[in-house]
Amino acid sequence: MPHPIPGGPAMTRRTALALGGVGLLTATLAACARGTDTRPSAPGTVTLNSDNPTWGPGYDAASAVLEARIGYRITSRSIASVANYNQIIRMTAQTNSTTDLIKWTNGYRLQDIARADILTDLNEVWDDAIGRGWVDPAQRESFSYEGKAYGVPLYKSYYAVFYSKRAFAENGIEVPTTFDGLMGVAQTLKDAGITPFLAPGATTWESEIWFMQLLASIDPDYYAAVTTDKASYVDDPAREAMDVWSGMYADGFFSAPDVTSNDLPGLVSEGRFGMMLYGTWFANTLLAAGLTDDDIGFFRVPPRASSTAPAVLVESGSLSVPVKAHRRGAAVDVARNWLATDVQEAWVGFLGDTSPNPAALPKSDLVKDLAADIAASKPTELIRYWEASPTPLVEGNVQDLGSFMVTPTKAHGESTLRSMEARARTEWKIWDAA
Amino acid sequence: MTLTQPPVPQEAVAPADDPTRASVVAPHRPGRAPLAGAAFLAPAVALVVLLLVVPFAFTIYRSFFDDNGFTRSWVGLDNYTAMFTDPAFGQSVLNTFFWVVGTLVLPVGLGLAIAVGTWKLKLGALARFAVILPYAISGSATAVVWTFMLSTDGGLDTLLRLLGLDPLISQWLLQWPLNTVMMIVATTWQATGACVILFLVGLQSIPPSTLEAAQLDGASGWRLFWAVTFPQLRPMTIVVVGISIVGSLKVFDQVLLLTNGGPGTASETLALTMYRETFTLSRYGSGAAVAVFLTVVVVAASYAYLRRQLRPAQS
Repeated sequence: MPHPIPGGPAMTRRTALALGGVGLLTATLAACARGTDTRPSAPGTVTLNSDNPTWGPGYDAASAVLEARIGYRITSRSIASVANYNQIIRMTAQTNSTTDLIKWTNGYRLQDIARADILTDLNEVWDDAIGRGWVDPAQRESFSYEGKAYGVPLYKSYYAVFYSKRAFAENGIEVPTTFDGLMGVAQTLKDAGITPFLAPGATTWESEIWFMQLLASIDPDYYAAVTTDKASYVDDPAREAMDVWSGMYADGFFSAPDVTSNDLPGLVSEGRFGMMLYGTWFANTLLAAGLTDDDIGFFRVPPRASSTAPAVLVESGSLSVPVKAHRRGAAVDVARNWLATDVQEAWVGFLGDTSPNPAALPKSDLVKDLAADIAASKPTELIRYWEASPTPLVEGNVQDLGSFMVTPTKAHGESTLRSMEARARTEWKIWDAA
Repeated sequence: MTLTQPPVPQEAVAPADDPTRASVVAPHRPGRAPLAGAAFLAPAVALVVLLLVVPFAFTIYRSFFDDNGFTRSWVGLDNYTAMFTDPAFGQSVLNTFFWVVGTLVLPVGLGLAIAVGTWKLKLGALARFAVILPYAISGSATAVVWTFMLSTDGGLDTLLRLLGLDPLISQWLLQWPLNTVMMIVATTWQATGACVILFLVGLQSIPPSTLEAAQLDGASGWRLFWAVTFPQLRPMTIVVVGISIVGSLKVFDQVLLLTNGGPGTASETLALTMYRETFTLSRYGSGAAVAVFLTVVVVAASYAYLRRQLRPAQS
């Protein structure tokens, strides 16, 4: 029987193996080569690495203004996984494979990499921005380490209560101006069959939200002290916060802790959403999901006692320049102009969030009203818990708080605080020794 | 290779004095054979050394340092001391042990039962298809499906409510050890199909004459299974159990996606502890210490198991 497939000389196993081996070697060598993303960028551009892949159009909008001001545009790239992004920045920022600008967090997470001498001192940029009134000078400290600033605010968000205007209207509820009033609102919503607060966090960073807010509402000075190792986690204000939190759970004010913030638009359309304490940056997601200013409003959590000064928690990202950036001078120029009012207007026009520059307001009334309220009442601005202490301390404590949210008894609140305090003792010792 | 390569039956190997083989064997040249052998082995050895041995040696080296990615200082055995005295690490070891036992009992046990039970049934192929289908779904997609099923007010709670079984509603992924048990169940749903396929291959390699002889001798049902079928499946069982032990010791993706090791560190496994120390806390020395411990456990378990199972039968 003839061979069904006539052809030329058959390939031997050795030839196939040799070809495969050469192919593998070539692929390996190609993988080791430097990618185009880590070479100097095209003239007139600076590269920016970020962990938020959806912000590309925002950088483009800001770039259009930056180009007119200084002749440089931002070419952004992103790594969606936060854990991967952190590792890549830690590795590449030490080498000349780094991008010209990096997105990072402020506070202790910025200090952690700043003390490795891989970031450019931006003190002059801050002096300039403060002189022009482009930024609140109070923010400078959270971007500094040992007197030098290592980043400028990339964005600025506040923690406030998102509420359903429909649910409030249908139940005759006014926006509360006191803490007791807020508890009354929660009770009214609960009586109407609506879970008052959507509160995710069982196994996520979000477990910090109510903890930091309650501390800020009870004693802002204590919050600032406990996050900087000047007070203990088992002091009275922390105990009071855990008792209040536990009591709110006992009153049925919170959702199950394994919900996600992405449930919010669906709950609004079903008429089952009441309130959620969250970062104002989330407003953009809600607007993208089709909600409008008519559906959602914002208010700040009032102080627990009328004698306590109002405080608000602030989240910020850092725009930093690695020392080994290819276009370091241009990157510093971009940082210098990033806070300019026209650049920020373009930027927050995309973000739909508040700006580090108080003069730049987003188009959405949702955040604009909150920004106006903050500008008028001037509450103490506190750095968000995530960035307020050394990373291992925060990560461990956030896990403890998530565990508390699953079993929110008073006794568990006590043991949670003891665990947080024990971790604080260990981690501060490590931080101070480094 | 020992894990995926079942022992070759003796009859499949041609005897040394086979005349048809003798004619194609090249004449023996002293000194050339070892050299040629080394040349053939070199690429494989080089790859193993480069991709496994060197990284592992570097991981061991790194585990003796306090290393934050920027600076590195020698701390001797401090990372190991801290690891063994951390209660979260004890919890992680316990959870990993649960995973080993759970995946041996459920996917392997069920896989064997389904393969043997449906082997000669008329509609057996249909039943097997239903079990094998989830195996085609990726681990991440499985985790998404099960997150929907097991979260509060999720699919399982809704089903229980429909059936009037409200008292059974639980915080499936939030309470330990229930969350670990449910994650093992989710993994069972996905992994049983692979075990069924492997056991079916094993069943098909059993000579029909053996089974017929046993049936002529009056063996049937359980007796036939325990005395004839199961012993004949031994080579395949060794492979399936071996893969299951190693897979469960390094379980990671399902736990990361379903509970992220939480609440707290309640459902963390060793692989997750290693990930947290290395990539979340940037403590590369501590992460390396966990990696070394995990590697030692995996290698020791595999060696102990395979050494026992693959020992030549005593004549």
